[in-house]
Amino acid sequence: MSQRFLDPTVLTGISGLDLIAKTVVDGFVAGLHRSPDFGFSQEFAEYRAYTPGDDLRHVDWNVFARTERAYLKRYRGETNSLLTVLLDASQSMEYSSHSVNKMDYARYVAASLFYLAIHNQRDAAGLIVFDDEVRNYIRPSTRQGQLARLLSGLELAEPRARTDFGKPMRHFQEFLRRRGLVVIVSDFYESPESIVRTIAPLRFHGNEVVLFHILDPQEIRPVFGEPAILVDLETKQKMEVTPDYARKEYRGKMDAHIADLGERSRGAGMDYFLLRTDRPLDAALREYLNIRHERN
Amino acid sequence: MGLFAPWFLAGAAAVGLPIYLHLLRRHSTTPRPFGSLMFFEPRTQSSIRHRRLRYWLLLSLRMLLLVLLAVAFANPFINRPAASVSSDTLVLLVIDTSFSMRAGTRLNDAKREAMSVLASRRSSQPVQVMALDSQLHPLTQPTEDSATQRAAVESVQPSDSRGSFAELARAVRLTADNIRTPIELHVFSDLQRSNMASSLAEMVFPDTVTLILHPSVKSGVANWSVESVNAPGQLWGNPKGGKPSHVQAVIAGYGTPAAARTVSLLVNGKTVATKSVQVPANGRATVEFPSLDVPYGFSRCEVRIDSGDGFPADDGYRFAVERSDPERMLFVHAASDSRSPLYFGDALSSAAESAFAPQVVTIEQTANLSPSKYAFVVLSNVAALPASFDSELLRYVRGGGSVLVALGTSAAGRSRVPIFGDSITEIHDYSRELSRGRERFLTVGEIDPSHSSVGKAGNLSGVKFYYAVGVDAANSRVVARLSDRTPLLLDKKIGEGRVLLFASGLDNLTNDFPLRPAFVAFVEQTARYLSGAERHSGARLVDSFLELRTAQEQDLAQALGVEVVDPDGRRPLSLEEAATTQSFRLTRAGFYQIRLANGRQDVVGVNPDRRESNLDVIPDDVQALWRGSPHQPQRASSSGEAPQREEPYGLWWYIMMVALAAALSESWLASRYLGTAREES
Repeated sequence: MSQRFLDPTVLTGISGLDLIAKTVVDGFVAGLHRSPDFGFSQEFAEYRAYTPGDDLRHVDWNVFARTERAYLKRYRGETNSLLTVLLDASQSMEYSSHSVNKMDYARYVAASLFYLAIHNQRDAAGLIVFDDEVRNYIRPSTRQGQLARLLSGLELAEPRARTDFGKPMRHFQEFLRRRGLVVIVSDFYESPESIVRTIAPLRFHGNEVVLFHILDPQEIRPVFGEPAILVDLETKQKMEVTPDYARKEYRGKMDAHIADLGERSRGAGMDYFLLRTDRPLDAALREYLNIRHERN
Repeated sequence: MGLFAPWFLAGAAAVGLPIYLHLLRRHSTTPRPFGSLMFFEPRTQSSIRHRRLRYWLLLSLRMLLLVLLAVAFANPFINRPAASVSSDTLVLLVIDTSFSMRAGTRLNDAKREAMSVLASRRSSQPVQVMALDSQLHPLTQPTEDSATQRAAVESVQPSDSRGSFAELARAVRLTADNIRTPIELHVFSDLQRSNMASSLAEMVFPDTVTLILHPSVKSGVANWSVESVNAPGQLWGNPKGGKPSHVQAVIAGYGTPAAARTVSLLVNGKTVATKSVQVPANGRATVEFPSLDVPYGFSRCEVRIDSGDGFPADDGYRFAVERSDPERMLFVHAASDSRSPLYFGDALSSAAESAFAPQVVTIEQTANLSPSKYAFVVLSNVAALPASFDSELLRYVRGGGSVLVALGTSAAGRSRVPIFGDSITEIHDYSRELSRGRERFLTVGEIDPSHSSVGKAGNLSGVKFYYAVGVDAANSRVVARLSDRTPLLLDKKIGEGRVLLFASGLDNLTNDFPLRPAFVAFVEQTARYLSGAERHSGARLVDSFLELRTAQEQDLAQALGVEVVDPDGRRPLSLEEAATTQSFRLTRAGFYQIRLANGRQDVVGVNPDRRESNLDVIPDDVQALWRGSPHQPQRASSSGEAPQREEPYGLWWYIMMVALAAALSESWLASRYLGTAREES
């Protein structure tokens, strides 16, 4: 498996999120094996007595045969492994200056995380799709077919409406009662203060919160050869933009926004990571594993 | 404000091109979706407005540039008052110096008027002073030096020439074409009506010339003058025994009442006759003096009247008369021919006022004769000449002598014409050749009137020629031909002399020419032509030309230098001119003494053109018409100011300057505007 399959422009040629996720994660894992600095394994932790309701698949039948007692074999990585992805499906996510728009990139990231979590880590994974409301919720689970449900939920998530963290956040509180890893994938076109103030309560339940800030390179460093009329994808507002302004003032504002958001996020105990849609996806996966490793 | 080439304004339609391009560029800016405009704050609008302003400024500059170019090519102009360019106006002061300005105080009045105009001029204006008679004589170049201008006016002297306003207009038109600046033309003249051209169109000035007339007199004055004199220019022989000569003079009055005038004939300053004549009112009278008794040599004669008018300069008419002995000529004829000397001699004595004394000899008598003693020689019906006389005659011709050869019936036995040298081709006896129901003679078919021998001979068409000799005319000038194109009169130059060949006889057997009056004139003119004694009348007009040497004499190496002594006793010709000039212009009234290139002496009396004696003034309406403003009265001449006129002043230069500034601004603005885009791309 080659590293080039982490390139989002290559992934656009692959149909089906499952295959995309498998391609990304397998390529990413192959890359890890070649790395002497970053270890990854499913390490045995302990045996736990079976209690009704536990998944029979995790029962160590060899021990049961010798002792006639049912024990569950537990691994280190399985502790508190619950991944929930909050996917922003507002219309601004539809923007693209090249072959991969932000929504597709977010889908690739989410699918790869789900594949890595379910297939490799055996973690429970769930999905919340929102814009100004919660549009879809797939509760975290490790059951058979969960990955398919999650990928189907990603494919059904079409951008529409505007981003509003405030309104759906109340529902997030209800959905995220268990401790776990919460990944928010969005372009975060709101004031950093408002974003952090709205999201920070997620940490109160012991969740690890990661902000994947997805931006198109044109949004970070816009280049206009001549004055252009821009249309806001969410508000439909039109505005004439000159190259001079886009080159100077806009870049400063965007850089300040990114820096402010990252600083405020880290200040609130959350992780923040900027993802450009023209970059490979391994950065997001590496970030996920890092956090998971630290939690264990 | 106007346009010299308004059609170029159609080029202004090109402004549609930048408008189209700019609007096309604007419309091509289609809205582009963007993630969020939250970082584009309202204050960015000012930046866009600034850009938009620059955008429209660029468009405006481009449109302005195209419009300016179209307007510049249309060549607009404004009408500026001519006064605003008065410093460029050339002031021409023209003072009439024609003969009539000698009357009374006309010339002094004109000079005083010119001085007053000079005094009223601004010192920065260039002034040129000229004198006008039959020609326009510049006395100064255009100058701002008032001393030079005043000195030129003071130096003006009257002439004896006739004034010509047509020549004034022609010269001023030429000047106006050359300098291309407005001209303020002041004419100081007595404005004689007779100085006008035959049509007013010849006197019209260009639009850039402003004519201001300064008349010396307001109306014409009465004047008597000797209009013309008819007198012989030359007399021959003893004054006691010669034929009497009479003098006829015409006395004219211009604007005069009927009055009796005393007319005198003066010879060499002495009054030899006086007569009284009654001149009708504003009319003419003829006076005749029956005898003109002048001594040998040149006599300076004059007819004078006692006019008592204000213009005494035209009261006399000068003419010169020369009295000399008759010249001898030799007439050689066959012994059998007795008619030709009779007819020729009678014609010569009656026509030429006894200017030539013929010596008639037969062929046999020529043996011991020397032709050089004779003015010319006539050979009539000569079959053969003695060898000695033949060779002597040929030498005489080659040395400059002249011979008339008349071929009679004796030519039938010869193959060549004596002296003339050309061959005889055939003998025409028309009385026999044309006998079949037709006339037995031929007449003159064509004639060259420019030849001196036939120029004044009158009509030869009625002369009947029964006999003529055909001669090869290849080397001769044919003066006359018969109707069958047989050469009748031929002229041939041999050496320095010439031979005239008459291809028929001088008797009444071969033709009836001797019986006709034209024969007398022919003999007279031929005699004068062959002898070289053609003398014109002893009176000439001022500005006429006197021929000093002929074209043939011009080519002669041994020709003498001419000499001219004017009425003041001065020699107006330089040595080089005396050696080469062919003619001389008689510019002064009085008696000129002349020595011609052929050695002859002559005296001519020169008189002013009598049209100058008519002192009538150009009517006021014609003056106004000449000035070009028939309804505008003459301005006060003393003010010396030209009437205000307007002239077009082109503006294309200034418009091109503005267009250049617009082009530079457009380049600067466009480079800044488009430079930003290049940097960003």
